[in-house]
Amino acid sequence: MVAASWHIAAKDLRLCLVRGGGLVQALLLGLLLLFVFSLSQQVGETMSAQGAAAIFWLSSAFCQVLVFNMLYSLEEVNASRLGLLLMPAPVQAVWLGKGLAGLVLLLLAQLIFLPASVVFLGQHIGAAWPQALLMLFLVDVGMAALGSLLGALSQGQAARESLLSIVLFPLLVPLLLAGIRVGSAAFAAAMPEGAASWMGIAAAFDALFCGAGIVLFSFIYAGDD
Amino acid sequence: MASRYSLAFAVLGAVLMAACQWFIYVYAPVEAVMGLVQKIFYVHLPLSWWGLISFFVIFVYSLAYLKTRNPAHDRVCTAAAEVGVLLATLALVTGSLWARHSWGVWWTWDPRLTTTLIMWFVYAGYLVLRGMDLPASRKGVVCAVVGVAAFIDVPLVFLSARLWRSVHPAVFAAKGGGLDPAMLTTVLLCVASFGFIWAALLLTRIGQLAQQERLEALLRIDD
Repeated sequence: MVAASWHIAAKDLRLCLVRGGGLVQALLLGLLLLFVFSLSQQVGETMSAQGAAAIFWLSSAFCQVLVFNMLYSLEEVNASRLGLLLMPAPVQAVWLGKGLAGLVLLLLAQLIFLPASVVFLGQHIGAAWPQALLMLFLVDVGMAALGSLLGALSQGQAARESLLSIVLFPLLVPLLLAGIRVGSAAFAAAMPEGAASWMGIAAAFDALFCGAGIVLFSFIYAGDD
Repeated sequence: MASRYSLAFAVLGAVLMAACQWFIYVYAPVEAVMGLVQKIFYVHLPLSWWGLISFFVIFVYSLAYLKTRNPAHDRVCTAAAEVGVLLATLALVTGSLWARHSWGVWWTWDPRLTTTLIMWFVYAGYLVLRGMDLPASRKGVVCAVVGVAAFIDVPLVFLSARLWRSVHPAVFAAKGGGLDPAMLTTVLLCVASFGFIWAALLLTRIGQLAQQERLEALLRIDD
């Protein structure tokens, strides 16, 4: 199953990164959000670290919606979903492959969003950056696990981006809170409660939704429309 | 059969709720600090509890639907989502009124209120999903998956909301336990009365959905 997942992820990444159109759209939307929120400051004013971290994760969340819609639409627009389903591997390999591809694309997008947050929102990276980096990875894993599970359900629907957003965003709240809290510490804000408890929540979320993905994906991703 | 039960529950709920008015306004003492506004509690608590129970029912019947593909389970999920969102909406409104009087703000980062709000968003999205134009069996499966995913998220939402709040401690002290016995009796009666009304609403809605499906099937045969 893991080998099949790698193949699916590699195929999706090649399609997305060679064509580039989908990721460019997600990147532009995230950057636009960062820029628009930077307008909420007066000239010379610096945004709070927590505010900046919230905007960073908001951009990432919208980016994630576009990324997973793009990943699942690769098969839909070519009417080749059955091809994936006939692959000699468990259907969960599709969930894992799409999740891996989504994780890579999200991390690539955040490579752009992070410096953009520093520039547009007037932040600087503090001493807590190693734990923030670990938290960023944990949050991204959870976002990819849930995004890959729910990304499949909105395929074939009109306004699938908005549909996925309204289902996905509320479920992501625990992860986003964890990311914002530890992210704000990376932007030099104090975090009296420490990062460990937030990491525990993010890790629990990852474990829960990786399990849910493995169990539930086969119900969503089937041959019927 | 279901309609007979729903009628019985509705009658029981109405009688008990009428009795609850006496308990709320005569039997239970007026709270010393908040005064009459504290009476919101007797409505707010049952609304929250039965709202959350509705979401638990969705979780259980979603699992059952995924296992059996029985459309009756899907109808229970639909009805429970509608009733649950209604109750959660009312719980949020009454909670907001409580917050305004007691803490001077319409909204606060209280873990319970926040969890209710997040759940409201999740299940409002679930109802949007229910409104999609999809074949019934596909819609049932998709909604069942969301119903399961939504409920397993509840503990994490609550924990993260509580942890988040710990950095904004300025505002409110945690509520002390130990209700006055008269208040406790009253609130338990209110929970029971809302429970009967909840059951009546749920059964009525399940019956309506079954009728709707039957009518749609008959129309398809006619075509």
